[in-house]
Amino acid sequence: VQGSSDVTDLAAWLEEGYPQSVRTAYLILGNRSDAEDAVQEAFLRAWKFRNALVKESSFKPWLYRVVVNSCNSKLREEIPHRDRRSDATDLEDATSDDTVSRIALSHDVRQALSDLPAHLRVVIVLRYYADLSERDIAIAIARKPGTVKSRLNEARRRLAQHPALNDQPHERGSHEEETG
Amino acid sequence: MTMIDEETLRRSLADAADEFEVSGEAVANILATAASDEPAPHKNVVPAFVRQPGRPRTFLGVAAVILIVSAIAVPLLRSEPQSPNLSASNTSHELSERAPSGAQNLTVSPGSPAPTQDSTSEKDVTGSGFSGSSALKIESQGTVNLTVARGHIESAFTKLSSLATSLHGMVESSQANSTSTSTSFATGTIVLEVPQPSFAQFVAEVERVGHATSVTTSSTNVTSQSVDLQARITALNASLAQYLKIMTKATTISGILAVQDQINTIQSEIEQDQSQLKVLTNQTTYASLSVDVSEPSHHVSSKRSGFDKAWHDSLHGFVAGFEWLVRLAGPALFALLMLGALYEIVKYGRRALRRRRI
Repeated sequence: VQGSSDVTDLAAWLEEGYPQSVRTAYLILGNRSDAEDAVQEAFLRAWKFRNALVKESSFKPWLYRVVVNSCNSKLREEIPHRDRRSDATDLEDATSDDTVSRIALSHDVRQALSDLPAHLRVVIVLRYYADLSERDIAIAIARKPGTVKSRLNEARRRLAQHPALNDQPHERGSHEEETG
Repeated sequence: MTMIDEETLRRSLADAADEFEVSGEAVANILATAASDEPAPHKNVVPAFVRQPGRPRTFLGVAAVILIVSAIAVPLLRSEPQSPNLSASNTSHELSERAPSGAQNLTVSPGSPAPTQDSTSEKDVTGSGFSGSSALKIESQGTVNLTVARGHIESAFTKLSSLATSLHGMVESSQANSTSTSTSFATGTIVLEVPQPSFAQFVAEVERVGHATSVTTSSTNVTSQSVDLQARITALNASLAQYLKIMTKATTISGILAVQDQINTIQSEIEQDQSQLKVLTNQTTYASLSVDVSEPSHHVSSKRSGFDKAWHDSLHGFVAGFEWLVRLAGPALFALLMLGALYEIVKYGRRALRRRRI
């Protein structure tokens, strides 16, 4: 990837990374158009600064770092009270019980995810959807691996206590919008 | 729903993500945009990122070090005493009741400004206020108490003025007083300035005007002060250049204002130092001699005793203590301000670094 100068290389690059990147951004931002904007901006910037990439092996976390930063920019400019759940699939679309159950769970997870502070949401999505290791997440969010581990624990703890994912609902804490 | 496990979370996230149908149009848009502005890959304009993560930090670090050094060094140098230990020679000698003829034999050595020292204290002020030369700079001054015959105060003043003028000097100030019983002047003080090289000759000639009861001359080597000032100005100019560079990189209004603030402070420091240097250069160009002229009957005794002396000593001590406090407060306040500014800059820098990441 490094040093590529032809736009056809970018096409290959997009084919490889765009779908997962845009879905990751979607999970982080909770909004389709924001996710598309963020990822488009991220890819263009990553392409523009592709010489900043040193090792071929670090391409994935590097690309995610660009995507995450782009998402953070979007979150910073986010209009207060935007409904991140507006794009969720309707349960009426389900065709079987199993699908209903999965969609319901997915809906609950999305709801719990959207209630997490952004910095915790990012690590959860990178770990469990993008399937990055803690070390790669550390590169992607420009923090130490210890910080990643701590954020993952905190995010898991909060998800576990979230009323949507727990049989014993309880008072939710204040909704932080930290973009760390 | 019970507490979610990792595998379920993974699957649920995948399900949630799959709701998003990737549009080929978006990919085409990206390709079109990339094709329309396809410049050569940026080599040196990479934001603080993988390849050059340390550059801006190093730059900020250097700026911070310069600030700290300036914050510590400038007030310290400013509060430095007037180099008493660097004085080339300090001599004062009292002549008691010497006849005018005796004054002719008065040897003004070794403390008085010798011709060899004087010859090195040439004026070196350039257009910028300093030359950076390492020539010795000697500051000389002295006091002569003269007794003249009754009614000759004015003529003594005239003679002294003529003497100074003949040596290309000038009268800085003069003051004459008369007593209530007499219409003519009984005492007077005249302050004269002559070029450094002529100072020793001038003192000798002044003593001949009347009966010299005391002659005090002193000279101080202020070369180190001058060099310090020049070095400080150079360092401040370097800091200024750094800040001007930082200014070109500032993008937010608060950042620009913070850097502008620093630039204003440094410029004001530079102007102050240049003024000091000019004053110092003027002082080393001309030597100053204060001549107290009096008639024989008007002997002024400055000795105090008893309660009066104790009161004056106490007052003097109080004033000295207060002066010390005021002198200390300035540099301390300045150092605090610089630390505050440094804190703000570092805070701003860290924030800017975070924003500059892709």
